[in-house]
Amino acid sequence: MPILEVKNLTVRYGNLTIVDNVSFSLEQGRWLMIIGPNGAGKSTIAKAITQGVDYTGQVLWEGMDIKQMKPTEIAKRIGVLTQSHLMGYSFTVEEVVRLGRYSYAPGIFSPRDDQDIEQVEAALEKTGLAKLRNQSILTLSGGELQRTFLAQIFAQDPLLLLLDEPTNHLDLLYQKQVLGLIRDWIRTTGRTVVSVVHDLSLAKAYGTDALLINKGKLVTVGAIEEVLTRENLHAVYDMDVNDWMCSLLGQWQG
Amino acid sequence: MARSQESFRLRDFLFFGIATVAVFALCVCVGSVSIPLKDTARAIWNSIWGLPVPEGISNPIILSVRLPRVICVALVGASLSICGGAMQGLLKNPLADGSTLGVSSGASLGAVIAIAFNITIPSFPFAGTMVMAIIFAFISLLLILSLAYRLDYSLSTNTIILIGVIYSMFVSATMSLVITFAYDKLRHITFWTMGSLQGSSYQNALVLLGALIIFGGVILSRARELNAFAIGEDNARHIGVNVKGVKLTILITVSALIGVCVSIGGVIAFVGLVTPHMVRMIVGPNHKRLLPASVFAGAIFLMLADLLARILFNPLELPIGVVTSFIGSFVFVIIFYRSRQVS
Amino acid sequence: MKFIRLLATVCVLALLLTFVAACDKKAAPETTTAAPSTEDAPAETTADIPETTAEATTEATGEADATDSAEGPITVTDMLDREITLTEPATRVVALTASDCEIIWALGAGDLLVGRGEYCDYPAEVLDIPSVQSGAETNIEQIIALEPQIIFMNKMAQSEETVAQLEEAGVKVVICDAANIEEVYTSIALIGSVMDKNDEANAVIEGMKADFAEVAELATGDGTETVYFEVSPLEYGLWTAGNGTFMNEIANLIGLKNCFEDVEGWGEISEEQVLERNPDYIVTISMYFGEGPTPVEEILSRKGWGDVTAVKNEAILNLQNNELSRPGPRLADGAKLLYEFVYVTMARK
Repeated sequence: MPILEVKNLTVRYGNLTIVDNVSFSLEQGRWLMIIGPNGAGKSTIAKAITQGVDYTGQVLWEGMDIKQMKPTEIAKRIGVLTQSHLMGYSFTVEEVVRLGRYSYAPGIFSPRDDQDIEQVEAALEKTGLAKLRNQSILTLSGGELQRTFLAQIFAQDPLLLLLDEPTNHLDLLYQKQVLGLIRDWIRTTGRTVVSVVHDLSLAKAYGTDALLINKGKLVTVGAIEEVLTRENLHAVYDMDVNDWMCSLLGQWQG
Repeated sequence: MARSQESFRLRDFLFFGIATVAVFALCVCVGSVSIPLKDTARAIWNSIWGLPVPEGISNPIILSVRLPRVICVALVGASLSICGGAMQGLLKNPLADGSTLGVSSGASLGAVIAIAFNITIPSFPFAGTMVMAIIFAFISLLLILSLAYRLDYSLSTNTIILIGVIYSMFVSATMSLVITFAYDKLRHITFWTMGSLQGSSYQNALVLLGALIIFGGVILSRARELNAFAIGEDNARHIGVNVKGVKLTILITVSALIGVCVSIGGVIAFVGLVTPHMVRMIVGPNHKRLLPASVFAGAIFLMLADLLARILFNPLELPIGVVTSFIGSFVFVIIFYRSRQVS
Repeated sequence: MKFIRLLATVCVLALLLTFVAACDKKAAPETTTAAPSTEDAPAETTADIPETTAEATTEATGEADATDSAEGPITVTDMLDREITLTEPATRVVALTASDCEIIWALGAGDLLVGRGEYCDYPAEVLDIPSVQSGAETNIEQIIALEPQIIFMNKMAQSEETVAQLEEAGVKVVICDAANIEEVYTSIALIGSVMDKNDEANAVIEGMKADFAEVAELATGDGTETVYFEVSPLEYGLWTAGNGTFMNEIANLIGLKNCFEDVEGWGEISEEQVLERNPDYIVTISMYFGEGPTPVEEILSRKGWGDVTAVKNEAILNLQNNELSRPGPRLADGAKLLYEFVYVTMARK
């Protein structure tokens, strides 16, 4: 059974149809790249999966309708990493990471067990933030901030990670760090990732599956090499993407 | 490995508790009429243990006038302060408060309508204004927030201020309209726009205490959720917070607390803005510490403001709202200036 | 970006202004006291012009004598020292303040009143006369539509623009603004001379003087017993009338001492101070709306007030009809009521 299944997903804002009748499913351990031009509805699909927008159709987790689940139950299964902006208050890194454990003990009286503490420590270690644990998030660099939220997700320990262009505004080194951390995480734990990406070369480098979308409509979905064909990309981007990518990369040889 | 403790520690409790008790003692001992410390202590001691109280005017002044008033002031300060702290977390904006958003004015409008049109609840003489104040506080919050979200989803500082100004104007216009219809009650009505804790009774204190324990308790129990909101509403949803549910809970409890405070003490502006801001500088933004500390600090702040109101122009009294507004406006500008520097 | 910053600054200023305005409202006594008193100019407003009004007294009464014999133009000086000339006595007048309304009625000229301020309520017949908005919301159009020759108003909330607009429309403005009993006589004389009721005015003045003299004569107090005037009840913050108010003046007249005579004009005072100053009598001017305890019962039931002499002796008088606050002929009635209460009712107990 697929871990995630989206059936006839449609999202409307007023008269505008952002996502139009999209269906796909995803097996465990895969990394799905959602690809498409600006305004194609990529982020909206991600938002619908985490119940961030109203939609019609169904989002099923192992056959269960996510709409019927409690927020904490969803959070144990799906974690989200988006672009992070500057925060209003000076919480410490550790406070932010600890909130990742919220779904396991949401009540004020629910005890924090050793596993909670271990998970937080492991997440801080894995992301290299142990030394910064008491630093205010307002003083962090963009990469450190993004790693803090990644650590929060590691603490949250979801079965599926949803990335909504989290590395877009980051310096290259941080992009590499964050994506590397995620790939290691998938490989060691067998988790699943859904990524909204802009950058086709990144998509090809990290993804196993791809979903191509244009103007809210699904173009094609499947294994990444089957989706990112010359014909498909040409239909969506109206240019020969392969040629261009090759010519760009050719510059770097030698 | 040293792990920082998130919640309010015993040490913090002692620190804030002792400060509150000290200020409380000061406010009971100092007043418009000066009464020797010894007499004050004896009056309170004897009445606690049921001993006969000595003759003289100092006893009624201490026991019937000053003590209930200081208690009410402390409770109102604590309640308004925890409300301010909760709203600033929920909306991720350090300038959000019952008075800046216009919720307090909304509550006073409810009380005014109850007085003007004789809306009462049989056998509970005071409850009519209180219930109306609570309902109007809640309606105001809903109106303000839905308007604000429509204008600017991220609820920036500018939007908050703008909405607060607009809504306050709207309320004052409506109030003038109500007064035109109920001219004979003008004097009753003017009270709600002022804020006075003169003549507070032990019954008032009991009502305030009950409200603070119930609603304040609910707010405190949502400290972690408020932390998540203070980091970002999207982040809160992603980690599994029931965003709509928590928001509704906080809005209802905050409205109820503000409604109770307004129906007893009138509109006292800026308390919920000043104290959480100061407390945040001491204990940090984590609501597990911020909220309990705000309760104490709010009590301290309002007791001191009331003390100033009582003794500054003795034998005249200043309305307490004048003192808090005076301090609050300065703090407001400082916070606003800082928040603009950051962004 | 600059525009947003500017906008934000403006908003902050606006917000601050609202609060300052709110504070203003709190500081001004007239908004908190009984509604009609918005019109009963509290004492301090006229405190700054004692000499001019004294002058006006002689001039106004002087003119009045002159016009008695000769028909023709009347020239009077009002209580802001403005000269007003009329070709003939006024037969259509509007009075914005309740006190002027009462004076006109006392002069027997009630039938010449074509309009009244909204807060004029005495005698009851006044309510049949068309009312106009007064005070800060004075409605000039309403007034002009009534086609009066004269409008009487006080200084409060009347801007120079209002006056100028009225005069332009051909309505002569006469300012009556009395801060003490002597000035009330001046107002009466002034209104009398404008409306050709000099004899009646003199009779009212003499009547008041006689009443005051009578109570002053009968009163046996030597200024040791104290009285506390409560303008606003505890629930809304205690307000009292101090030095420079009619209540203070009348208390002194009948040999009582206002226990808050150190307060200038009207002011919010501390409950503790009332208990400490322990007044022998309490006069409250709270209105009773027919629900709950009466103002007297409410004072008697206050916690901690049991040891106050006035409460112990139940020496509390409730005057609900502005007898002691309105600068009109009924001040004499107020003095009589207070005298009777202190020296007859209470003495009998």
